[in-house]
This record gives sequence, structure tokens and C-alpha cells, in this order.
Amino acid sequence: MFDQFLGFLQAMADQTGVAHFWWGNVVMIAIGIAMILLAIVKKYEPLLLIGIGFACVISNVPGSDLILPGGLFNYAYHGIELLIIPPLIFFGVGAMTDFGPMIAHPKLVVLGAMAHLGIFIALIGAKLLGFSINESGAIGIIGGADGPMAVFVCVKLAPHLLPQVAVAAYSYMALMPLIQPPVMKLLTSKKERLIRMKQMRPVSRLEKIAFPIVMGIVVNLFFPPVAPLITMLMLGNLFKECLVTDRLYKTAANDLMNVIIIILTVGIGSTMNAESFLTVKTIEIVVLGLIAFLGGTASGVLGAKFMNLFLKEGEKINPLLGSAGIASVPIAARVAHIVAAKEDRENLLIYHAMGPNLAGVFGTAISGGIMLALLGVK
Amino acid sequence: MIVPDSVYGAVLLSVIDFTLSIVMITGIGFVLALFPLLNRLGKLDDETIRKSSH
Repeated sequence: MFDQFLGFLQAMADQTGVAHFWWGNVVMIAIGIAMILLAIVKKYEPLLLIGIGFACVISNVPGSDLILPGGLFNYAYHGIELLIIPPLIFFGVGAMTDFGPMIAHPKLVVLGAMAHLGIFIALIGAKLLGFSINESGAIGIIGGADGPMAVFVCVKLAPHLLPQVAVAAYSYMALMPLIQPPVMKLLTSKKERLIRMKQMRPVSRLEKIAFPIVMGIVVNLFFPPVAPLITMLMLGNLFKECLVTDRLYKTAANDLMNVIIIILTVGIGSTMNAESFLTVKTIEIVVLGLIAFLGGTASGVLGAKFMNLFLKEGEKINPLLGSAGIASVPIAARVAHIVAAKEDRENLLIYHAMGPNLAGVFGTAISGGIMLALLGVK
Repeated sequence: MIVPDSVYGAVLLSVIDFTLSIVMITGIGFVLALFPLLNRLGKLDDETIRKSSH
């Protein structure tokens, strides 16, 4: 009778997750909770970190059906893996974004490429660590600080690294307010951080409507490998700027975007399972991702300082704008503004920083497109 | 694969990609610098567009 009772207990225990719980799960649950706390206490990108953190916690509780094939989180991940979610994210971002600052100040557009040196530092670093050239490209693109683009390029180049690359890209994007300022302050003087930008010219409705159409043509013509993302970005933006599709643009910018963010964040978080995530390769990718972000921030700031060598006094640009050339919109622009505002509260850099920040989206797409072309991937 | 799977390949890929990215985005900058010329074609009034859509 007693043996039977113990047998029942054993069978019940086997059906729960308790028997399969190990220290790796504890570590990952702690990481998930840390993400949630950072979002709530420090307000670091809560829209991203809450979903990622919670799904990370749940995916490390053995027995959770949500992450298994047929589970909702698993379907969310397939949406990312099948490249359905990244273009939709860009569609929503396009509908939310005013490209006026980029159109108004074309001189700053080049910062959108200069701030991507981090991609190549990480790419070479990954190759030195023994990753294949395709894997190195997928890791390097983390430095573009553009989540959907990182996912897109990674799926094309090294789909098996998608969990690590997606988690590194989105986590570092959320943590940019912590990562970027020390580099920005280290590379600039107080005098440089105090530089005020001239007011920009107003951008007409005609220019704003022409922008997505022209860019849609340019990107599809020159960068077909990454055209799906930028095309959707431009479609969302056209809905916004044409003024005759308010219902569509509001849906894309609000309801649809919110749904997609939920799917994206739980899909990414659900891949953070200890068994597949706690590996040496993951640690290497996470470190390389950090190097890419730091390198990108530094190259952007140094690029802006380089541009200043050729500009007259009074026309010089605030080098903090260079750090915004890293793509993550609008996080990098906000960081540049905050760092400048710490020196001078009345220096409103945000609008100016949006120019290179938006150009950074194109810069990452161009880098990714060229990379895919050079590696012979369609 | 056009680029060799080696450290040399990674450096080559990086140099070509970074250089071309700067050239391409500078090109986009030039295109954007021409945008004010569009205003010579006429003016679109926000209110008129909104009214005509209802």
C-alpha cells in the first residue's frame, strides 16, 4: 500500500516540472526577473523588456507548454523565424515616424553609416573566435542596433543563432541608456556637448509624401535583399504622411504595433531557455554584441567630430548626434538628447538627433544588404 | 560565396561593406538635398487634403 502511494507520488512528480529543474533555470529566471525590474524601476524600454523578461522566466520553468510546439509562445517565435513579424514592426514604426528631421538636414545622414563601425568590429571579432563568416555577419549586425533588421539578416545568414542574436540585439537596445553615455562622455569635451544646433528648415507635405515613394524605389533598386523591411517602413510612413488614410495609419501605429510588440517580445523571451542559452557561444555573442554597440557609439561620435573639422565655426554639429546614428529609433536619439541636456537643460537636441537616428535605420539596412550580397545570400 | 570564410575574408567584407555603406548613404543624402526643389512644383495644403478625403 505504502509502496503504491510512493509510486503515485513519484509519477505525479515526474509529470510536474520540479524533477527537471536545474541551476541553469534559476540563473535564467533571475535574468528574466532582472529585465522586468529594470523595466519597472528604471523604466528601461518597458514595452520590450516586460514581455522578454516574463517569457524568459516562463520558458525556464520546466513543463511550461507555452514554449513547446503548439504553444502560443512557440507560434510567436515562428512568426519571427518566418520573417512575418520584422516587416510588420517596420510597418508600424514607419506609421509612427516623422522623417522630417532626416529630410531637413541631409548633411547628418552620413552619420547613419559612420555609427555602424561596431558591426564590423564584432564581425571580425566573431571570425577570430572561430565562428563561420555567415555566423560572424549575423553577430556583427547586432551592432546596427536595429532589432528587426538583426533578426532579418540573422535568419538569412545563420538561423541557428537567431535566439542569441535576437536577445542580444533587443536587450542592448533596451539598455542603451546605460551603454552609450559613458562612451559619449569619454569621447567629447564639455564644450562640444554644449554645442547648440541651428533650427532646421520646415519640411513641406509634398516632400514628406515624396520621401517614402523615392526611398521605396531606391531601396528596392539597390538593396533587394533587405527591401522587404524598408518597403514596409515606407508604406507605413506613406499612410501617415498622405493624410487621407488616417484610420490605416492609426491602426498601424497603435493597435497593430502593440499586438506585434507583444508577439515579438514573448517570441524572443521564449527562446531564452537555459539548455540552449547557457552556452559558451551565447556568452561570446553577448560580449561581441556589447562590443558592437560600444564601437558603433564611438564611431558615430568620432565621425561627427571628423565632420566638424570641415565645418566653419557656428556651423559645427554637436558630436553627441553621432551616437544617434546607431539605428535604434528613437532610443539613441533620446540618449543623445539626455546627455546634452545634462550639460545644458535648454539644449533641445532630440529633434536634431532624430535625423541621424532615422538615417541609421537606412545605414543598417544598407550594411545588411551589402553583407548579404557579398556573402551570396538572397 | 564571394567572400572567403577566413579572417582575411571578414576584414575584406568589413572594409567593402563599410566603405560602400558610407558611399550609398551619402548618395541618399544628396537625393534628400534635392528635395526642396520639389516645392517648386507647388504646395500641398494639409487642410485641403484632409477635407477632400471626407
